[in-house]
This record gives sequence, C-alpha cells and structure tokens, in this order.
Amino acid sequence: MSDNAHDLSLEQAKELVALLEDGKQQQANQLLEDVYNRRNDKLFTSVGQLTRDLHDALQDFQVDPRIVQMMEDDLPDAQNRLLYVIEKTEDAANRTMDAVEACLPLADDMQQRVEKVMPAWNRLMSNDIELNEFKSLCHQVDDVLKGCGENMPQVHGLMTEVLMAQDFQDITGQVIRRVIQLVEDVEKNLIELLKIFGKEEERRNAEKAASAPDEKEAGVAEGPIIDADQRNDVVGGQDEVDDLLSSLGF
Amino acid sequence: MDKNMKILVVDDFSTMRRIIKNLLRDLGFTNIQEADDGNTALPMLQNGDFDFVVTDWNMPGMQGIDLLKEIRKDDNLAHLPILMVTAEAKREQIIMAAQAGVNGYIVKPFTAVTLKEKLDKIFERIS
Repeated sequence: MSDNAHDLSLEQAKELVALLEDGKQQQANQLLEDVYNRRNDKLFTSVGQLTRDLHDALQDFQVDPRIVQMMEDDLPDAQNRLLYVIEKTEDAANRTMDAVEACLPLADDMQQRVEKVMPAWNRLMSNDIELNEFKSLCHQVDDVLKGCGENMPQVHGLMTEVLMAQDFQDITGQVIRRVIQLVEDVEKNLIELLKIFGKEEERRNAEKAASAPDEKEAGVAEGPIIDADQRNDVVGGQDEVDDLLSSLGF
Repeated sequence: MDKNMKILVVDDFSTMRRIIKNLLRDLGFTNIQEADDGNTALPMLQNGDFDFVVTDWNMPGMQGIDLLKEIRKDDNLAHLPILMVTAEAKREQIIMAAQAGVNGYIVKPFTAVTLKEKLDKIFERIS
C-alpha cells in the first residue's frame, strides 16, 4: 500500500517518531491529522464522483432524445404504417374480387350461348340438318361470335385490373420492412439503455448511436408515403409529378 | 417504337417486376429481362445491348438513383432511356432524378394507361 499517496508513508512514520522523541507533541498531532484528512479527501472525491455518475445516468435515462423520439413519433408512425398495410391489402383484395365477380358472369354468358348452339351445331357436323334449322343456327353462331367479341376485351381489362391490384405487395412490403427496422432500432436502444448503468465508456457508445442522422433528408429513399395529404414535401400523384417535371423543362 | 427492343426491369419485389413485365407484354414488348437491384442490373446492362431500362428507386444494394447515375457516367450506356417507377414521391427526389438524367418518372401505385403514356412520350422524344 506504500504506492498510495494518501496512505501513511514510512517517512511520515519516522518523522512522527522523531517528533514524539523530541517531545513535540503538538506538531506530531498535526502530522497525524494531515494524513487522516488526506485519506478522507480521497473518500469524499470518490463518493462525489459516484454521485455525479449516478446523477448523469438517471438524467440520461429520463431524457435520451432518441428514446423520446421513438415513443412520440416512431411508434405511432409504425402504427400508422401498419394500418396503411391493412388498408392497402384490403383494397387489393376488394379490387381483385370485384374484377373476378365481374368476370364470372361474362364467362357464364359465353358458356350459355355456346350450349344453346351445340345441339344444332352437332347436327350440322354430322350432316343431319334442315335448311330452316341451318338458318337459325347461323343466327345463333353469329350471336356467339358477337358476344365473344364484346366479352373478351372486357375480360382482358378485368384481368389487367387483377394484375394491377397485386401492386400492394410491393408497397406494403416496403412499409413492413421499415417497421421491422424500427423494431430493431427499439431493441438496440433498449440494450443501450441498460448499458447506461454499466461503464462510462459503454454510455458514450450509446450516445453516439443516439445521434444517428435524420432519415427524412432530401434524396434519401423513404419508401411509400402513407400520409401524403398531411405533408407538403411530397407529390400527391402522377399529375403532380408530371407538373413538376414539366416545370423543370421535361 | 421498336416492339422487339430489349428491356431491363429493375425492382427488388418480384411481384412488381411481374406486373411491369405483363403490362409491357400487353403493349407488345416481349424481349424483357429482370434484375433485383442496381448491383445486379449494372453488369447486365454493360454486357447485354439493352435498349431501355425501367427501374425502382428504393432497393437494397444499389438504389435506382445510383443506378441512373452509374448509367449516365458510363460512355457505352449513357444514351439509354430510363423510366423510373417508384413509390418515392418527395419533390426533392423527383428533381434529383430529373437532374441525374431520368427520361420519365412514374409514382406507384400507377395504372397501365400511365405506363403507356410515359413510354410513348419517351420514345416520341428519342425518335
């Protein structure tokens, strides 16, 4: 323990003995008191340091801006994003079912017309048909062809509608990826929060992570905009894109 | 417009690639290939005499805006017409894409009619 400046050293002990041998009681007492005070100073400093660390840690715990931002903005934002996913998937399901429901009667209609023609048609194919019946068959076949010509473009359009309704997967996929990212961030921050009670160095790392750059900077990909009507930095649709581009000389 | 032109569709979501491919096929284009991000697309473009690129913006790996810049930097590819089809809808981003030399910009969700319009416009300008 002789390497600690605050402990009683051999020199001090010898000095103390010398003072006592010389009968200098008052100076000997003074020397002892000095040594004692120096030891106490160290204790007070250590307690002071501990108190400050605890205070800082508690302070950080309460006001870490990243945590506050997550609670106030990111979590409600994640809720809105997930609600948006529900809305988009519901919309896609309805669009698909609407198109399918509009397609089915067209298919049924074609089938019925063909069924109506088939008996006379089969007789024609087996060379067993009267002239009158042949004439009415011609009208029926004409009816089938016209119906087919009318229905098929409609079916094609409805099929394209079904195809386009699947675009929800891309949009919702992007949104869900962002929510997953947020969950990871929350997890990371909670771990860092625990580290605040650990070593000072770990606390500094947590602070560094907390000052991550703002992701809403211009030019950084943000994914689908779920609240376009409440923001003025985004376009509201293709028409606004076209207007913006033509204003740039496009 | 040459219906046999070779088109590269770049999007990280396979469903969106399928949708765009189907719409292009509907418009008569059949020579279509796919890539899932800029890192996959760039070597394909460098080795494969493509005539037209349709790309998303937000993709893992190389993003669409960076692919656009890389294409414009490359002497052999710089002339390629590029149509961006993306959910990115911030004004700054659209301006950024325009400045980087994009030929058309479509925001998702979009319609078959919009795609046809933009294609017509791009190739009308080129010819």
